[in-house]
Amino acid sequence: MGSRQITEKSLSMLRSLPRISLGNIRDNPNCRKPAKRGRAQHGGDKHGAGNKGSGQRQNFMRLGYETGNNPFYLRVPQEHYYRGHHLRREYPPLTLHELQRMIDKDRVDVNQPIDIASIVKSGIYNFFPDQKQFGVNLTDEGADLFTAKINIEVQWASELVIAAIEKNGGVITTAYYDPHSLFLLKNPKKFFESGQAIPRRMIPPPDAIEYYTSAKTRGYLADPEEISKERLKLSQKYGYNLPDIQKESNYQMLCERKDPRQIFYGLEPGWVVNLKDECILKPKDQELLKFYNT
Amino acid sequence: MSLCIRSKFLRSNLIGSLFRYSTTQVEAAEQVDPVVADDEDTLAKEAAIEAKRNISRLSREHQNLVNGRRPYEEPKHIAHLTVKYNRKMYGKYGLASGVNPSICFPSKADIEERLEYESVAHPFTIKQMMEMAAKRRQEQEQKIQQRDKEIAAKFAKLEQWKKDLLDKIAKKAAEANAAKEKKERLVEEVRRHFGFKLDPRDERFQEMLAKREKEQKKLEKQARKEAKEKMMIAKLQQKNVELGDMKK
Repeated sequence: MGSRQITEKSLSMLRSLPRISLGNIRDNPNCRKPAKRGRAQHGGDKHGAGNKGSGQRQNFMRLGYETGNNPFYLRVPQEHYYRGHHLRREYPPLTLHELQRMIDKDRVDVNQPIDIASIVKSGIYNFFPDQKQFGVNLTDEGADLFTAKINIEVQWASELVIAAIEKNGGVITTAYYDPHSLFLLKNPKKFFESGQAIPRRMIPPPDAIEYYTSAKTRGYLADPEEISKERLKLSQKYGYNLPDIQKESNYQMLCERKDPRQIFYGLEPGWVVNLKDECILKPKDQELLKFYNT
Repeated sequence: MSLCIRSKFLRSNLIGSLFRYSTTQVEAAEQVDPVVADDEDTLAKEAAIEAKRNISRLSREHQNLVNGRRPYEEPKHIAHLTVKYNRKMYGKYGLASGVNPSICFPSKADIEERLEYESVAHPFTIKQMMEMAAKRRQEQEQKIQQRDKEIAAKFAKLEQWKKDLLDKIAKKAAEANAAKEKKERLVEEVRRHFGFKLDPRDERFQEMLAKREKEQKKLEKQARKEAKEKMMIAKLQQKNVELGDMKK
């Protein structure tokens, strides 16, 4: 091996090596000196821990302790109406007035059944299923101004709200969704991109069953005949003529309801939706079909 | 055309290498050039040009991400072998991701686990829960009704109870009043006997009072005796009358 070759090789090696920069050079030896904690007269004063008390002694007291005061968290007597508040279901409110505004601004489509997915998609309303929030509580503020004819599905509604919607020839249903289904309804795109099959909606818990099976509250598990009777009763109670929805041009839309196991309109449990390929995969396996139909 | 692009590419590469103060890229280009074959390798050539044209300095994975392809062709991490990751790849990149979509559906074990979970989480059917709720509601109503009934029954007696209590209080007050009057009368009598005002704590007064009281008691006793006798006589008379009637 000649010296020329060696030179060539070392030069090429040098060329391929990374260049010196601030990022890959080392400090000069002993150029950095760690800060010394001085003692006594040589800077041994407070060492950044402040003057006097807990701070200086660095004895961090337990949370809520007020150095012998009656602590705030014990000062208020027990409030028993808050008992079990961490387990109760919460329904963040949406007023009829806001809903009317949403409709007027064309942020929800009145020609389609409205459910919590379309309400969230409007951008006006938001909720957090992980904070024990179980969907929309439609409240009666602006009930006198409400004029839209809609097929809406909410999670909680009062009698007056039901009357206000039915007076205009609309239809309202109260439906329960378990938190997992609510996550899907809140952000369907995220779920579809996870490539999972759509799950089944779960049944309501025992303390909510009365509400969701009652025809008076238009529960989704109530008997439809009972509901039509209650519609008439309510119209008589509030003194309005119940419009005959069978004669409406959009009767088909007004009749549309979800199956108690269904989460999205038009999509059945067990289907896989792929947004990239814009296709739906439906299971054919008997076992899968059996599972998703129960 | 291709020449033009190449010159462009060369220029940009030169600038790029100037930026990086490196000549390695140029060297690489020199190495690629002689590889170009004549016939059907034009495609490869184009690809090579395309590779050179890519001056983004992004890693391959990031380039894939930017261009809407799955980032890793082959698994690079243990997480890339999981079902969840593969489902995600299919969900995001569709069939182009190369994942068999059958992975998206739950397996037999998944279904069994899910069913077991549901049997624990939802032990009752809707019908059972409805019955339970109806029963609970009925019990509550019954409790309220029973309490109402109890209150109504007590309320009906309330007036009588009020009257009884007031009578009792009035009787007690009357008795106390009578006793007080009697005492006052006695004291007055004693005073009259002495003929002048005397301190009730005086011994003579006390003596006289005791005497008077004794007399009073005696009188009362006698009166009672007489009353008794009178009653006896009346009874006897009545009996006689009755006997007489019987005889008649």
